[in-house]
Amino acid sequence: MRMPLVMVLMVSVIAVATGGELPADWAFKPRTTPTPPAVRDATLIRNPIDRFILSKLETNRLSFAAPASRTMLIRRLYFDLIGLPPTPAQIDAFANNSSPKAVEQLVESLLKSPQFGERQATLWLDLARYAESDGFKADDTRTNAWRYRDYVIESFNRDKPYDRFVEEQIAGDELFPGDRDAAIATGFLRHWPDEYNAVNLEQRRQEILNDITDTNALAFLGLTAGCAKCHDHKFDPIPQVDYYRLQAFFAAYWPIDVPVGTDAEIAAAKRKHDDWLKQTAELRSKINDLEKPARESAQRKQRSRFDEEYAALLDIRFEQRSPIQKQIGAMIDKQVIASGKDVGKSMKGAAKDQWTAMMKQMEQYDRLKPPTLPSMAICTDVGPEAPKTHLLKRGNWRSPGDEVAPGFPTAVMGAKPQSVIKENSNTTGRRAALAKWLTQPDHPLTARVVVNRVWQSHFGKGIVGTSSDFGAQGDRPTHPELLDWLANEFVRSGWSLKWLHRTIVTSATYQQSSLISDSKESAQSIDSENRLLWRMNRRRLEGESLRDAMLSVSGQLNPKAGGPSIYPDLPDEIKKSAKNWPTSAKAEDRNRRSVYVAVRRNLRYPLLALFDAPDANETCARRFATTTAPQALMLLNDDLIVGIARQFADHVSSIAGKEPAAVVRTAFKMAVGREPNSEERTAMLQFLERRLQTSGETTDAVTDFCHAILNLNEFLFVD
Amino acid sequence: MFGKSHIPRFSSRREFLAAAGGGFGALAFAAMAHTQDKTSPRPDPANPLALQQSPFAPKADRVLFLFMEGGPSQVDLFDPKPELTKRHGQPLPASFGKVITPMGTGSNKLLASKRKFHKCGQSEIEMSDWLPFMSQCADDFAVVRSCQADGLNHVGSVCQMNTGSILAGRPSLGSWVTYGLGSPNQNLPGFVVLTDSGEVTGGPRNWGTGFMPATYQGTLFRSGAKPILDLDPPDGVSAERQRDKLKLIRELDDIHRQARPDDLQLSARLNSYELAFRMQAYAPEAVDLAQESEATKRAYGFDRKECADYAHRCLLARRLLERNVRFVQVYCGAGSQWDAHSDLEGNHTRLCARMDQPTAALLKDLKQRGLLERTLVVWGGEFGRTPMTEGTNGRDHDPYGFTMLFAGGGVKGGRVIGRTDEFGLRAVEDHAHVHDLHATILYALGLDHLGLTYFHNGRHERLTIDAGHVINKLFS
Repeated sequence: MRMPLVMVLMVSVIAVATGGELPADWAFKPRTTPTPPAVRDATLIRNPIDRFILSKLETNRLSFAAPASRTMLIRRLYFDLIGLPPTPAQIDAFANNSSPKAVEQLVESLLKSPQFGERQATLWLDLARYAESDGFKADDTRTNAWRYRDYVIESFNRDKPYDRFVEEQIAGDELFPGDRDAAIATGFLRHWPDEYNAVNLEQRRQEILNDITDTNALAFLGLTAGCAKCHDHKFDPIPQVDYYRLQAFFAAYWPIDVPVGTDAEIAAAKRKHDDWLKQTAELRSKINDLEKPARESAQRKQRSRFDEEYAALLDIRFEQRSPIQKQIGAMIDKQVIASGKDVGKSMKGAAKDQWTAMMKQMEQYDRLKPPTLPSMAICTDVGPEAPKTHLLKRGNWRSPGDEVAPGFPTAVMGAKPQSVIKENSNTTGRRAALAKWLTQPDHPLTARVVVNRVWQSHFGKGIVGTSSDFGAQGDRPTHPELLDWLANEFVRSGWSLKWLHRTIVTSATYQQSSLISDSKESAQSIDSENRLLWRMNRRRLEGESLRDAMLSVSGQLNPKAGGPSIYPDLPDEIKKSAKNWPTSAKAEDRNRRSVYVAVRRNLRYPLLALFDAPDANETCARRFATTTAPQALMLLNDDLIVGIARQFADHVSSIAGKEPAAVVRTAFKMAVGREPNSEERTAMLQFLERRLQTSGETTDAVTDFCHAILNLNEFLFVD
Repeated sequence: MFGKSHIPRFSSRREFLAAAGGGFGALAFAAMAHTQDKTSPRPDPANPLALQQSPFAPKADRVLFLFMEGGPSQVDLFDPKPELTKRHGQPLPASFGKVITPMGTGSNKLLASKRKFHKCGQSEIEMSDWLPFMSQCADDFAVVRSCQADGLNHVGSVCQMNTGSILAGRPSLGSWVTYGLGSPNQNLPGFVVLTDSGEVTGGPRNWGTGFMPATYQGTLFRSGAKPILDLDPPDGVSAERQRDKLKLIRELDDIHRQARPDDLQLSARLNSYELAFRMQAYAPEAVDLAQESEATKRAYGFDRKECADYAHRCLLARRLLERNVRFVQVYCGAGSQWDAHSDLEGNHTRLCARMDQPTAALLKDLKQRGLLERTLVVWGGEFGRTPMTEGTNGRDHDPYGFTMLFAGGGVKGGRVIGRTDEFGLRAVEDHAHVHDLHATILYALGLDHLGLTYFHNGRHERLTIDAGHVINKLFS
């Protein structure tokens, strides 16, 4: 019996929302140049976005909801733009600002805040499947991965043009040689989950290439190319060969760690190191001889784990290896050569004594040894020549088909190759060509896809609901003209993301109330999913914003920006078995923003995981917002939250004193951004009185009260 | 029937609705509008764990998966190989070609099993002398000797046995089952995982939901009196204080909702607090082993140090199955403990002593209580072990032909299905790939592995990815 109902709903939704049939390949076609349409009630218009939205509402005999109140709007703007709640003082200042430009002024200040980049980075890092550990079994730490996170934050804060942002992440090394930020940006390509001790090396290499291809296709093109790995895409005009043509751009991938520093610093460190090498040459050679039998035995054992075809690579000098041998060889070198590193420690008898004495001798040279320079993880090419790429039958690396050359998806019309692939001394030039193709102003997908993502971050849902699937199986845009208008203007603005955010949040569309007024009941029957945007959507905070908001209102948030990640305390039950979670020693470090909390693939910070942070094993375009009993249990019972409640209570008491009415008013406003109404005030005061009567302890009563406030729907949702 | 007196009484209409429809962690508001094709389940977005009808007549209502992590040796437990004994110390015949194993033992010499095998039960299924207790249940087991997996390393293989893929990121078997069928128990999770003290290789992804909403993920029960994280109020907070706090939350949420009556997400969060509160009352009773008789405990092996811990978990599993938890997974040897690269005798002697008695007791207990008939029991690891030696006395990983056991849930016991070569290295008959095992488990529950799909990134994803055949021989 469910079927007919579902079908009726679907029919009505399509009829209302899309208002016209778009072909399955609409997104591959050149953008149109729509002009904002005329509307009947022009007094409601704040900027051109509103014309597109309102005209469609009017067609359906609907209109905008009432504008959001100042208190509702400031909370929305704060969470959307910087991911934090406004303080009572900030709310009052905004509410009392009588300037007609009050909203614009607030928006400008938020866009300028360094916390803007922190909030926006959280969303981008999901797309980049960013993590600071390998995943798989060992889940080794990637100690320098955070530089990419800081790069993203900085890029958003400086409003780096999006075309440049894309170019840097795909081909920063090729297009902007010598630019440190652009080099770090290529970390984007490198965040694949990795198994350093894999034996089946060709399979591993293919998995890495698939990861890079899928991530790039989804993040920049909004295409679910993954299906075409195994067969011609059933619905999209993406034949299998296109998948491997796209993959060929990355076939020469070469992940390396390079020192961070000025050329002079790096040269100085090298000089010192060379000197140390020279001075210790004789002694090191002796140690080397002494360790030789043990080392060779350890390496022999490791070597025997591999198929002889792979193991043979160990006998070929790096320079002599072909490009693919270099890639595979690096994986085996890491396992076999490394096994010979620390053999001295496990030697026995006289040799061990001799070894210990020599190592002692080595120590006197330690003062000559320069400290290791910090490093950055970048991705470049293995050389000017790329390994061959083959179409893989059914996606199986054991069944290579025809060789394919790098090529752009044939279905994407209107985008021309911008430059021929030209290798240089170190790289193939392939990624540069791909990046330039993607960032041509007229590319039908690049601007549409990012504009839609930013729209989604503000409205909870994109103009295209499936923000990483612009193909035939994805949703059609609800407002195709608006999407194209925004994309055109965005490119014209110099690909400025801040322009885009500003334009969206200063529209009347964005500034509507999320509440249904009595007169709007019919809107719900016409468009229950609010695809036409006859009001603002309410959204639940992401885990990151929830944690940041709790730290903020309890007066503990440490705004320090950048640098290596922090490790907040774990629940006892999890701490027992947690690997590689060096809890930050200082409370102020543990209380930094969530974007700085280490992202471990095998142990996502529990609070964030519970509130739907993705596991970072693949790119994630849109998070779920689940509601589960374990979330309620954590917010009610976890020591972490109870501790925050206590701090919140202290913070409130330090401002409001002990007077219950003041406590209630202060805590409520700090947490949800408005004054309580009389009904709410009564309920809260009665609670405090009850608690005081039974426990007699003011502190306990206020703590319980503050704890309850942190659990409110209104604290977790943004109107 | 199941300690109703422990359930706090709610009088509101909301409470009634939640009790009627909500499950543990239910009421997720995921982006589900776009998820289904014709045959895949359509969870009610307001209550995604509500019971769903199986598309086909189910043979089982529940699954018990006993996961022997690290890879038990088939040739020393269920797959006797006289030829291996005969050719001890010789290399594999050249006709076997190149064998890739993680430790490069492919060309090592054959290592005979030191075990004695006995014909057990009326069915005369052969089991080794490491399994005196399970031997008594031989007639209940269908022994599948031809299992195959794709991974060579633990993490990928454990991941595949749980999710179908050696790469992380896909929903686990238990998640697919709860997604497809919902959860019959309103006060406990629909999918529970019980582990050893060790960490399961690869961690929570093995009971996670990958690209599906977290609503369907497995819940880890820890041993001891507090099985669920954050189940109890913090120390020093009385039940009365907690109730009072909840009352304030509800009062304020109710006021907040007056202006937002249409928003189901808000009511869902209100319900989730009531579910959490019910669980606080209900779960401790479900895991309270004090209610079990001494005789039962002895039968499971509570009095034997070597197996007491696993015995606890097995008995706990029975109590959960009895309370209609849909999918229960019990690990034995989490953290690759069966991984006998050296000293296979020592390792397996120890682990079999841990595993054998509680496993058999659990099976008998389920049978005696009439639960076995509708509970599909699965026993096995992520792969098996090579007939070739590693070092002098160990065995390497063998994903090419290993044994898994099935019982209950419509399975015809007392039979052997599939065959490996004369040394027990590779499956040669009735190949049963992990995808086939998964298709079969879904089939027993009345689900079609081709029809149970979830739309993600342009593809109607399914547990078996692009393969899978039901092993019909198990049921006929």
